[in-house]
Amino acid sequence: MGKQLQKTIVDILKKTINRQLYYYLDICTRCSICKNACHQYIMTNDLIYLPAYRAELILRIYRKYLTRTGRFISALNRAREIDEQWLDDLYKVTYSCTGCRRCMYYCPFSIDTSWLLALGKAILVAADKYPPIISEISNASIFKGENMEILKEDIIEGLKEYEKELQEKVDDPSATIPVDLKGADILYVSLPGSYSVLTAASIFHQARANWTLSLYEPANFGYFLGDTEKAAVTAKRIIDEAKRLEVKEIVISECGHGYRVMKWLWDTWSKEENPFKIRCILEVMAEYIKEERIRLNRGQIQKALTYHDPCQLARNSGIYEEPRYILRQIATDFRELTPNREKNWCCGGGGGLQAEPELEDFRLKTGEKKVEQIRNSGAKIVVAPCDNCRLQLEDLNKKYNLDISVYSVMELVADATVISKPVFPISNLD
Amino acid sequence: MEEDIKIDLELDLRGLRCPLPMVRVSENITLVPVGGIVRAVTTDVGSLADITSWANTTGNEIVKKERVGKEIVFLIKRRR
Amino acid sequence: MLWVSVPFLLAGMTFRIFLWFRVPRSEMKLGIFGQKEHRTTKWLKLGKDSFLFPQVLDIDRGMWGFLISFHLAIAVLFIGHLRLIFEFTALAKALGDLGMEQFAFLIGGAIGIILLITVFYFLIRRLTLPGKKISAPEDYFLLILLLLVIFTGNYMRFFGDIPITAYRQYVNSLLSFNPYIPTALDTSVARWSLGIHVMFANMLIFYLPFSKLMHFVGSFATNRIRREYLWVNSYKRL
Repeated sequence: MGKQLQKTIVDILKKTINRQLYYYLDICTRCSICKNACHQYIMTNDLIYLPAYRAELILRIYRKYLTRTGRFISALNRAREIDEQWLDDLYKVTYSCTGCRRCMYYCPFSIDTSWLLALGKAILVAADKYPPIISEISNASIFKGENMEILKEDIIEGLKEYEKELQEKVDDPSATIPVDLKGADILYVSLPGSYSVLTAASIFHQARANWTLSLYEPANFGYFLGDTEKAAVTAKRIIDEAKRLEVKEIVISECGHGYRVMKWLWDTWSKEENPFKIRCILEVMAEYIKEERIRLNRGQIQKALTYHDPCQLARNSGIYEEPRYILRQIATDFRELTPNREKNWCCGGGGGLQAEPELEDFRLKTGEKKVEQIRNSGAKIVVAPCDNCRLQLEDLNKKYNLDISVYSVMELVADATVISKPVFPISNLD
Repeated sequence: MEEDIKIDLELDLRGLRCPLPMVRVSENITLVPVGGIVRAVTTDVGSLADITSWANTTGNEIVKKERVGKEIVFLIKRRR
Repeated sequence: MLWVSVPFLLAGMTFRIFLWFRVPRSEMKLGIFGQKEHRTTKWLKLGKDSFLFPQVLDIDRGMWGFLISFHLAIAVLFIGHLRLIFEFTALAKALGDLGMEQFAFLIGGAIGIILLITVFYFLIRRLTLPGKKISAPEDYFLLILLLLVIFTGNYMRFFGDIPITAYRQYVNSLLSFNPYIPTALDTSVARWSLGIHVMFANMLIFYLPFSKLMHFVGSFATNRIRREYLWVNSYKRL
């Protein structure tokens, strides 16, 4: 390993040191209680997926370069030097983690392994060692931000199709999907795809909301990559758009990490103040229902329905009750998964794992915990307001013959709103 | 016009959601030689901008993109 | 030795805590998000997390049993050792001299056995997978040191007599910087085991600021992060 790289890494170590890290260095007793908290370790029984091992891998380096005991008596606490082997191990350990932070919840000392892995990712990015595809997607998003003028036409053309569909479905030829509308109240940041654009458009239309659709998507692969600069730039596209359009608030679609990035992480990365109120579409829908701006067919769904708390939205962002409030209105047989809320198991599909084809088998294997949970609940419909979760749940459904349908909350709400025709006729409902 | 171009690989990406069309294209482009053409069909509206951006940042070339009903057809030339 | 070790312990711990506070806090919002809660509830939950480890109970019941017994035993042990400085007069009056001795023997003995078993369990647990692969020599060193202190303590309790009054005289003389060894202590059969016990205990005290035992201070700080609910939007951050 080159001296230069070693120096770069040591510089990163020095730059990232903070109080949290000192605590972790001094108090992780390597008790391994986290062995029962991580779905990846339980399902693979492979030491490298043990949260304590992952944390220890990174802490050993910090110990070596930043503590006296590590420098002088490294035999005592197994502090080690940076070498190729270590980088290889680190790669395996970091880019396989979904960042669900269940291990932090269950750690008697609240050690945030996921955050430590983020430090690890920063090192790997500096060493040019990362999954190329995640970097490619991240770069593409940034390119999109810089060249929106060229790409805009394509996007608007696509939306024209949706607009026709919307008008047909809400039975109102004046219904539109506004883009670039200056002075709107809401800037809605949607995932591309009718399940996210059309559903929201229908809900906003019926609530008579003054909204406009963002040209960007909330997905942030810079965050998955662990490159906070890229992640900040990716998120800033949306903030800039909101400033340009002078909106009052930014509403993020059902996207777990997208919401967390915008709400909790962006201002720390960019060291800028976020002037906008950030809400998730779930909060907005719950508000509309409460204020009776949209009316729902109560009890439209009789099949057993359950809700999966996406880690990034629930444990890591604090949205628990809104979706439950909404779903209880629509479904007569609402069941909780056990455990749920902040104790919920990760589905196994987060952290950018969806985009890494070489981790597919691993991803499906580690999803077995979720499969077990869904089977025990007996639910036939699983609702998850996160795209990564839904992709994973659909894959699990196929692989393990779960016989479930997977929906987002928005799809169900759009379908249950009282209008002349259902927006999304969900065929397999009773 | 499409007939004039020799297609080395067909990718059926219909029904896939963002970012999977991009992932599949990126994954499979290495299967064709440099200068080869991949024909990808998607239904994801977002892929119009996404795959174009992807090609631009990875140094590949979009030879053609067109909408055929709900489908979007890309002809992508591997450049490196 | 006590003169050196106790100030050393205090200085060492202060230094460690100083090291923690020297660097800025993480700017990342690392809380686990829960229901909106009142300030007091938050602190109560922090206390619960730090003293009762409910999360461990949830996922590793066996370990929780050993953990809670060990930590409770340590707390009782600490109180018990205060008898070396002053007598719990109220309790001694209620139980009578002999009663007090029997009571101390019972509690002290029980604690000694619990500690021996739990620390032994921790050691075994560490030696079995997956803990073994990530353990460092310092972990074993600490556990063995603990075992030695506990073992010699138990030896005194069960195989020697403990002339508590003489001990108290001795400790108090140390505290007033005017040491003398009472004859009762000098002639006691437990003299040697006492010496060894105190030696190991002092080693433990010396080592504590450098060891993972610092978690008894640090865990409050880290657990506070878990209970740090951030419910305000960043644009009106507190």
